[in-house]
Amino acid sequence: MEFRDYYKILDVEPTASDKEIKTSYRRLARKYHPDLNHHDGAEEQFKEVAEAYDVLKDKEKRAEFDEIRQYGAHGQSFEPPPGWQPGGAQGRSSQQTGDYSDFFSSIFGGAFDQSGFQQHSSRGTSNFVARGQDVETDLPVFLEDTLKQTSKPISIDLSGKPKKLNVKIPVGVANGERIRLKGQGAPGIGGGPSGDLYFRIRLVPHPLFDIEGHNLIVVLPLAPWEAALGAKVEVPTLTGKVRLTIPPNSQTGQRLRVKGRGLVKKPSGKGDLFAVIKVVMPENSNEEVRALWQQLVDKAAFEPRKEWSS
Amino acid sequence: MIQKNIVETNPQEIRLEELCASTHLPTNIIIEIVAHGIVEPSGDTPNNWCFTATMVCTTRRALRLHNDLDIDWPGIALALSLIDEVQELRETNQVLEQRIERFHHCPRPEVEV
Repeated sequence: MEFRDYYKILDVEPTASDKEIKTSYRRLARKYHPDLNHHDGAEEQFKEVAEAYDVLKDKEKRAEFDEIRQYGAHGQSFEPPPGWQPGGAQGRSSQQTGDYSDFFSSIFGGAFDQSGFQQHSSRGTSNFVARGQDVETDLPVFLEDTLKQTSKPISIDLSGKPKKLNVKIPVGVANGERIRLKGQGAPGIGGGPSGDLYFRIRLVPHPLFDIEGHNLIVVLPLAPWEAALGAKVEVPTLTGKVRLTIPPNSQTGQRLRVKGRGLVKKPSGKGDLFAVIKVVMPENSNEEVRALWQQLVDKAAFEPRKEWSS
Repeated sequence: MIQKNIVETNPQEIRLEELCASTHLPTNIIIEIVAHGIVEPSGDTPNNWCFTATMVCTTRRALRLHNDLDIDWPGIALALSLIDEVQELRETNQVLEQRIERFHHCPRPEVEV
């Protein structure tokens, strides 16, 4: 296992006062707290900082750590010295921020059993009953799956054990919304009830459609002559194609509304699909085509940069 | 083997006792959290309160900030609304960037003139 220098982790000197330790902890906790910081690795860093503070804020644990610190250096491989007895200092009681390192457990005793739950030896394990922890996890959902009730087979990791579920995705579910599966969280202790499982919905970005509230937006490329003369074009929606009539003299940026082809609104109704026109030029042109454009130059009086002239 | 499970059909049906069990918080703390507007259950009295799944998760976030950062409830109410606002702005920004990219995407290289 790796040696953890709690002073280094908390960015303080080994001679630091309790006040300095607290100040440094607060600064780092704000920096890495998973509810405040979504960067990769922030949660792990926060756990390290919380563990370091757990040890250094406690006189007894800090003294034990100071003793063990003579035998190791930060990040290096470490084994407790022969004859080392894990002390009486106990882990945090907080149910939300458990997860101690092996290093911590080797010094201060096995805070966890194999199932990942804290042992409550002081209260007597024989008749201790507790509800299992709730578990929160992300659930990626495709936009198509929000339109009608669908079931999704999902595999999640519960305390190191894979669990397979068939989850019904409610119609009209929104990004960031939570859905609960009662009793599907971590199992209870001593016959206690299981916790609940909470899924945080993450709508998967779509290759064609963008979301604006309950509406969907799709970019509709048109040839200059389609925009000029009008056209009938097929436009994709989440539920198949629709045929749109493009009015003559259409413009880049103009939005065409296809009613009721957006996302589901709760409690009822549906948003719309907006096709946003983007006039695009052909990749290449030949002599004949250029001659036709030249005719336009001669016949169509148009100044596209009128706004620039003052 | 896939176990059959049904997502709760009425997500409003989380009662105060259930929220207490879920968050390991006593009733008086939940009442304080509600009083600060951190979560806003439907129903007029604690006995009639109904929480959504999202509110349960918000309560847990509030509790984590309270325990880990030593922030009082008014501070948490402020922090959470700012965090949510930042998150919303980030998402809006991402959506707008994506829309700009889609609309202005041009496969041709830049030209020196």
